[in-house]
Amino acid sequence: MIHIEGATKRFGGNTILDGIDLRIAPGEVVSILGPSGSGKSTLIRCINGLEKLDGGSISVDGHRVEDPKQLQLARRCSGTVFQLFNLYPHLTALQNVTLAPTEVLKTPRRQAQDEARELLASVGLADRADLYPAQLSGGQRQRVGICRALAMKPRYLLLDEVTSALDPEMTAEVLAILARLAAGGTTMLFVTHEVEFARQISNRVVFLDGGRLLADLPAAQFFALDGGLAQPRIAQFLSKMTK
Amino acid sequence: MRFTDFTSHDMVLLLQGLGVSVALFAATTIIGLAIGLAWAVLRWYRVPLLAQLAALLAELLKNSPVLVQLFLVFFGLPVLLEADLTPVEAALITLSGNTAAFIYVIAVSAIESVGRDQLDTARVFGLSRWQVLRRIVLPQAAAFALGPLTGLLVNQLQVTSLISVIGVVDLTKVGAILNLRTLKPFIVWTVIGVLYYLMARLIAAACARLETRLRAHREWKGL
Amino acid sequence: MLVPSTRRMQLQFDLTSLVPYFGDLAAGARLSALACALALAGSLVLGIAVALMRTAASNLARRLAGIYVDLFRNVPFIVQLFFLFYGLPEIGIELGAFATGVLALSLAGGAFTSDAIRSGILAIEPGVLEAAQVSGLSRMAIYRRIVLPIALRSAVRPLGSVFVNLILTSSILSAITLNELTGTAKIIAADTFQPFEVYALLLVLYAALTWLVSLSAGALHRRLNRNQA
Repeated sequence: MIHIEGATKRFGGNTILDGIDLRIAPGEVVSILGPSGSGKSTLIRCINGLEKLDGGSISVDGHRVEDPKQLQLARRCSGTVFQLFNLYPHLTALQNVTLAPTEVLKTPRRQAQDEARELLASVGLADRADLYPAQLSGGQRQRVGICRALAMKPRYLLLDEVTSALDPEMTAEVLAILARLAAGGTTMLFVTHEVEFARQISNRVVFLDGGRLLADLPAAQFFALDGGLAQPRIAQFLSKMTK
Repeated sequence: MRFTDFTSHDMVLLLQGLGVSVALFAATTIIGLAIGLAWAVLRWYRVPLLAQLAALLAELLKNSPVLVQLFLVFFGLPVLLEADLTPVEAALITLSGNTAAFIYVIAVSAIESVGRDQLDTARVFGLSRWQVLRRIVLPQAAAFALGPLTGLLVNQLQVTSLISVIGVVDLTKVGAILNLRTLKPFIVWTVIGVLYYLMARLIAAACARLETRLRAHREWKGL
Repeated sequence: MLVPSTRRMQLQFDLTSLVPYFGDLAAGARLSALACALALAGSLVLGIAVALMRTAASNLARRLAGIYVDLFRNVPFIVQLFFLFYGLPEIGIELGAFATGVLALSLAGGAFTSDAIRSGILAIEPGVLEAAQVSGLSRMAIYRRIVLPIALRSAVRPLGSVFVNLILTSSILSAITLNELTGTAKIIAADTFQPFEVYALLLVLYAALTWLVSLSAGALHRRLNRNQA
């Protein structure tokens, strides 16, 4: 379980997150929607400890993120996929995927490589395992990024606008993989602009605006009543995004 | 007072040594600047043979040890020219040449960072090669060159310390003299080091001041 | 300086009389090469450590490293060398000319290599470091597997010019009676009364050597980065 209680984050004079309360249970597929600047990415970055909270607390499977001693443990429970891929440029696709398992989990190299090849094959990159990121397309890089995150066998998969930097064709590739993962029971928390995609695969939707949580509903409800609570802000957002 | 102690006269010695170092640094910087810029102009005008020779000489001087250059001039030249050379003269010649080589490189790279398109446009308007150099390239290149120039000057100051090896009584030589007499290397060399350090900082500060003044001159001051 | 009266004004460049000394020159060159190789290793170790300190989160680390670099950049090498050569025996450390020379070169070289490596570190995309952090890698592992490999790859060219600098600076070791290349040349020049030829040859030798090093650095850079964007 990911527990987020009263999470608050400020940058300069602005409050990016304003007392967010949220719980994510294993098996859920949660999408975080909202206009730009609403704090969606910041929330993800607080969960994996890239940003420090100014108030409130976050714990992942009981490990508190604010405590430096527990942060590493908390991080092992989750895997993150980034908008800009952030692959290690000096390593091949295979090495990108095997780095963390061999260093952190101390998985023997042979085993790590076999598992990595399986993962890469499952996303259609079996023949590209020994290429470097510079030799891959954007969509391929993101697929490697997904494998890299999955290689650590995380409880929770955090996805931060993972298709925003891709063209429509590559976006479709990646979304197909994510849909497969969701159907297979992977717990996912994703920030996205792809409202249609969110509608299709998530079972719960969280809506953020101005750092506040405006809605937290089962997906069907959220999309059926334009936000369930018929909040004008959400209706406005949805109508704009789903033209 | 024992002979091996420090005396107040040593202060005078230090100042004299400092003076020699500074004087040689200043002189060789100015001469080196003139020669280096002249070489750069040769390259700008693409003077056949001379431009290539200058480039070759600069490469040679840049990529060989200054100490060896000093030895070549101080020990070698007199044999060749059958004329004697004082240590100071040899130091002047060598360091000026060495500085010139680096000035040449900085100048060439600064000139090259001025956009090609500006040069083409100027030529289309009928400006002569000299006018282009003076009015368009020079002001901008000077701004580009100031950063590397600061580094070069600080470096060439350090290089002057080598003239002590051929006998010039500069700051380092005074240090060697004092060291030999007092046998207190930690004190002597620390003091010498501090003096060089302060001079280097002074030069860097002066260049920084110049840079801000150059910048301020070119900045938009608003309506 | 003895000037034989039979010398003429034109460039009498007689290298053939130096041939019997080529063996000595080679020995001197070997000593130079050894000193430079050891100093390069020392500089790299020191430079990496200092570069990491300069990019560390700790203010104290940054300040200390900054002082070290500042000091060794603004004091002439020969002064540093004399400080060590004459000073260390006073506190009971007898190193001899070679070891002192290598030590001095390493200390000075470390300041300059730290510059090159620091630039390499600062050029790393922050996102790449974030990805490493969230995957649970320890700080040591991130430095070892991500930061240093990437930083060193991009620092090859600047490090090449530091090495060139090291080679040129090593000639100053002749001032503490070390018979490396320049020191040997001095002896030969005195023996043969042909300082011009000897030092001119030396000049060309050093220039050729440094040119080779620059070329190699460029080749190494291309090879290491052949798969990068």
